[in-house]
Amino acid sequence: MTDAAEVSTAHLLATESPIKRFFRATEIDTRLLGMVGAMLVIWVGFQIFGKLITGEGVFLTPRNLWNLLVQTSAIAVMSTGMVLIIVMRHIDLSVGSMLSFVGVLTGVAQVYWLAPWLGSDNPMIWVVGVAVALGAGAILGAFNGFLVAYAGIPSFIVTLGGLIVYNGAAWWVIRGETVAPMDSYFELIGGTPRASWIGSEASWALGGLVCLAIVVGIVLNRSARARFKFPQRPLWAEAFLILAGCAVTLGTVAVVNAYAWPPLIAERYAKEHNIPVPPGGLIYGHGFAIPVLIALGVGVAMTFLATRTRFGRYVYAIGGNPEAAELAGVNTRKITLLMFMTMGILVGISACITAARLDAASNSLGQFDELYVIAATVIGGTSLAGGVGTIYGALLGALVMQSLQSGMTLLNFDSAVKDVIVGSVLVFAVWIDQIYRRRQS
Amino acid sequence: MKTMKTLLAGAALSAVIGALALGVAATPAAAKGKKIAVSWKTFQEERWKTDEAAIKKVVAADGDSYISADAQGSASKQASDIEGLIEQKPDVIMVVAYDSDAILPSIKKISDAGIKSIAYDVQFEDPNALYITFDNIGVGRLMAKAIYKAKPAGNYAFIKGDKGDPNATFLFSGITEVLKPAMDAGKIKNVCETFTDGWKPDNAQKEMEQCLTKQNNKVDAVVSENDGMASGVVAALKAQGMAGSVPVSGQDGDLAALNRIALGEQTVSIWKDSRLLGKKAAEAAVAMANGTAMSSLPGVIKFDKGKRHVMMNAILLQPDPITKANLDDVIKAGWITKNKACAGVKKGTVKACG
Repeated sequence: MTDAAEVSTAHLLATESPIKRFFRATEIDTRLLGMVGAMLVIWVGFQIFGKLITGEGVFLTPRNLWNLLVQTSAIAVMSTGMVLIIVMRHIDLSVGSMLSFVGVLTGVAQVYWLAPWLGSDNPMIWVVGVAVALGAGAILGAFNGFLVAYAGIPSFIVTLGGLIVYNGAAWWVIRGETVAPMDSYFELIGGTPRASWIGSEASWALGGLVCLAIVVGIVLNRSARARFKFPQRPLWAEAFLILAGCAVTLGTVAVVNAYAWPPLIAERYAKEHNIPVPPGGLIYGHGFAIPVLIALGVGVAMTFLATRTRFGRYVYAIGGNPEAAELAGVNTRKITLLMFMTMGILVGISACITAARLDAASNSLGQFDELYVIAATVIGGTSLAGGVGTIYGALLGALVMQSLQSGMTLLNFDSAVKDVIVGSVLVFAVWIDQIYRRRQS
Repeated sequence: MKTMKTLLAGAALSAVIGALALGVAATPAAAKGKKIAVSWKTFQEERWKTDEAAIKKVVAADGDSYISADAQGSASKQASDIEGLIEQKPDVIMVVAYDSDAILPSIKKISDAGIKSIAYDVQFEDPNALYITFDNIGVGRLMAKAIYKAKPAGNYAFIKGDKGDPNATFLFSGITEVLKPAMDAGKIKNVCETFTDGWKPDNAQKEMEQCLTKQNNKVDAVVSENDGMASGVVAALKAQGMAGSVPVSGQDGDLAALNRIALGEQTVSIWKDSRLLGKKAAEAAVAMANGTAMSSLPGVIKFDKGKRHVMMNAILLQPDPITKANLDDVIKAGWITKNKACAGVKKGTVKACG
């Protein structure tokens, strides 16, 4: 029997198509590639469609792509946590209204307590404002987690209750009022003011650093595999990965740099700094916006947490089989509580981004965000059955969702049609994913 | 021992309930004047408490008594609320209808009991009732007028409210009514027009960003249907350095919006003072309770612009467009403090801020 099996494997390897061999050698996740492909189809589709309808395609301009990244960041941050929650076979329906409550709290803290007390230009305001948001998020998240893990109430119910409670709480704090304007340093978190664009030079430097990190990472990985006598990727595959990774990174930098400052802002800047304006006008690249960097940073940190720490291993172990994990000595309750707390902190970060971006806090912030966060996570390949899901998948899922919405707004789609399309895409994406998984197994 | 305790507790409880019941019954009976009833649709939104305070003040000043019920956002609860109110034999019942169609049988019951009814803020089409509200089509008109005055030609963007809310469309009809001649003449071009899910400011911000991207910033004026969305619009304009040079409209008299007006970032906020609405309605109710005919109340007109075009007596209050020029009105009315309205305003740029 074993002989027969070996023979068939060898036979398979020999007859493998070059494409399959390529994926095996580079160890690239084909699902990821499929998603990137789908996203590119959507992008190009909007571009062509826009050209046909309005005479000019706006979607694939640096400006729109830059906007897209900023618009995605708040949902993206929360989706990285939602992945792990869903991997653990739980759900968090309360993130949207928690965002609204936390956003309102930090708004009130800045505008009504800190500004009158410290003076409105004090740099401590944003520090305390962010601390309030993260702290409140952590406490609310931990409370959700406590009810789920220790009181044994299903997470669906706990967070459904939370959805309603935090909604009411946000209303209760400001009674439907809008709190504005936010602190001028805090505003930088949202990516609206000029100072929150890091500029071309810094973006290139950052891109270079990321490339360097890719190279170092692959070299380290190679030596680690050698140490544990794991099979190595062929050298050409390593080279390909380095090139592809750097190309994507530097390409992104080129795009965000290609979006020049709005003329009015460049003019004002020139006047303030006594810079002579050349005939073509001053051209400064935006570079990355701070909220995008925050989202990317959170993505990296959460990927590390999920794949390189004991906590992450436990999360996936519990998701794969809760009873087995418990019997193996994993403190499932503690991990559950900590996971919900992490989710709360991420909500705090998103609350800062959203409130800072709008330069105002109101209790309508974040409403229905839970639906977009869960949709992004699921489109990103997280299985609701638990145990399966990746952070980068969720980030991509968030980008796909936002691309659809922004693209349709650009084309002046009726908002009823928008809803119909977004909902259908969600279901369709999961269906395709199911087919893919069935074929894999 | 245990039974004893239970008994005592029971006795205490019934005493409390009895007292409560007496208290409830005693309050209306004690007043000598007329009785004014209000059926509220919900107290979940803060504004209705403001209305209630204004109504209570007028009613008390006349020596009349006030009774009320809160339907908590349910059409069926409102129907039974009204039956309950009828049984207490008030002279006038004001109704803030949760559902303007489902309420009609209840309104008929009110008339059948010989009680007068007032449609407060939300219209229901019963010829025997008085309809009192702010002129809603007028709000759209006022917005458009203020923006048109600031920018009589160019590319206009329209940020509308939630598509499920009839008010969003209603407002828009008032807006287009004013702008139509200029649009037909080709002076004003509609470059972006979109509904905004849930009237959410952050959605409005994204829509405005897309609009600016699509138009490559060639947008000369923005008609936003409320102040919350205007905050998103202004944030999007700010990112392009255009805030302050592009006129933006809104409504509600949001405190943050009034501050934006002082700062020059928003052009107008249409303000509907719900205290004024409450006061006028209560005055009408008191007059009606004392036998004044509906048609001879001050300010009454004939109104048939509802869905079914039923002819009704109506009082339509004019909303107040608040701009930099008359910002003082809201400060004097005590709606907003001068500090809040003028936060961050440079000395000498706005009259109201000094």
